[in-house]
Amino acid sequence: MTSQTGKALPGAYKHLLTGVSYMIPFVVAGGLLIAIGFAARGIYAYDAALGLDGKAIEPTAWTTFWANIFAIGAKGGFGLMVPILAGFIAFSIADRPGLAPGMIGGILAGTTGSGFLGGIIAGFIAGYATQWLNNAIKLPRNLAGLKPVLILPLLSSLIVGLLMFYVVGTPVAAALTALTDFLKNLQTGNAIVLGLILGAMMAFDMGGPVNKAAYTFSVGLLSTQVTAPMAAVMAAGMTPPLGLALASWLFKNRFSDDEREAGKAAAVLGISFITEGAIPFAARDPLRVIPSIMVGSAIAGAISMAVGAQLHVPHGGIFVLPIPNAVDNLLGYVIAILVGTVATAGMLFVLKQPVAAEAESSAAAD
Amino acid sequence: MAKIVAITSCPTGIAHTYMAAEGLELGAKRLGHTIKVETQGSIGTENRLTEQEIAEADVVIIAADTKVDLSRFAGKKIYETASNAAIKNGANVIMAALAL
Repeated sequence: MTSQTGKALPGAYKHLLTGVSYMIPFVVAGGLLIAIGFAARGIYAYDAALGLDGKAIEPTAWTTFWANIFAIGAKGGFGLMVPILAGFIAFSIADRPGLAPGMIGGILAGTTGSGFLGGIIAGFIAGYATQWLNNAIKLPRNLAGLKPVLILPLLSSLIVGLLMFYVVGTPVAAALTALTDFLKNLQTGNAIVLGLILGAMMAFDMGGPVNKAAYTFSVGLLSTQVTAPMAAVMAAGMTPPLGLALASWLFKNRFSDDEREAGKAAAVLGISFITEGAIPFAARDPLRVIPSIMVGSAIAGAISMAVGAQLHVPHGGIFVLPIPNAVDNLLGYVIAILVGTVATAGMLFVLKQPVAAEAESSAAAD
Repeated sequence: MAKIVAITSCPTGIAHTYMAAEGLELGAKRLGHTIKVETQGSIGTENRLTEQEIAEADVVIIAADTKVDLSRFAGKKIYETASNAAIKNGANVIMAALAL
């Protein structure tokens, strides 16, 4: 099997993205159900025996129902988030034998308090350890079945588990706490810078690896109750397609016919936080479109951080805004999205040339 | 005229996966080759490549940002690249793959 890698992503990054890819539905389901639970029964929704004001009450079918909804999200979705991330990072590296040690390492990341950072490390340890064991251990043909069924799971889980408890757990837990504290106490100036950076990353490749790095960072932080970056990231992920939709609608002469059609689709994708809606425009005219959307997204991210907006769910676009408790400082957040959208459209107006003039100048250049 | 099979896949699995597939299909059409693209998105596998199609293919293109199981392509020439490359210029990806 001859294999050639032409500008493929670096291996380690691909493994991480594979883990993230499988993790996303867990976080989405978990986050939305938690938000819906909060919406129905306030901030103590998780406890059927607490009233809206936190005082003890007699549990009812109503309070128990919403506590269950909350548990589906928190214990089910969010509880599985890190093990799935770790498990599929390992799966990407070592194939099926990596799944068990990866997920085991991921759950121990929770036990040791090392969170999603520990989970990512556990996934890589499990993957590479399993791959090494698989290559190093050779068995005679009639015992070959023992390898995947018994030897690999036992040894790889042992290696990951012991490393998590004795080597990785404590320092990474400390690092995670430090990161969380730093982000929670971010001064406004630094918060704005973070918003600018996250925003620019979201627009840079619209759903590609850089975008995913910013997104993964923010989603991971949700598991440690740091919710401001998530807000910045979702706002910044909505403004590229929304800004392009606005620009293609307002400044018709700067877009071709099928771009204007794509603009309508981009509007729907934008309000749903599907940044990829911007890609058709960026593919056609990257040098003008990408800087424009990066500026708009950076502004949206910065405003979101500056006004202290918080987002408790990892996806959903405009549809999660009305859910009570999903967003803190809703007005400021909506302003961030609107200003980012208008800024994107404005940049496109300035940078893009009327389509007819472009055809002439490229014909003249030939 | 070459016979090409391909797989596209990306993390969220809803957009880049399908845009990369379209990029490769258009590229193949422009160059006069036949291609079948299997997408591995978040909804699962669509347009699955059959063993026959894999056996008859001149080259296998993997345009993916996440892991794709390569054991089905044992013995074939494989060209791996990122999904963005296929979205930007499917024809270039195909030409590079055929040059292997």
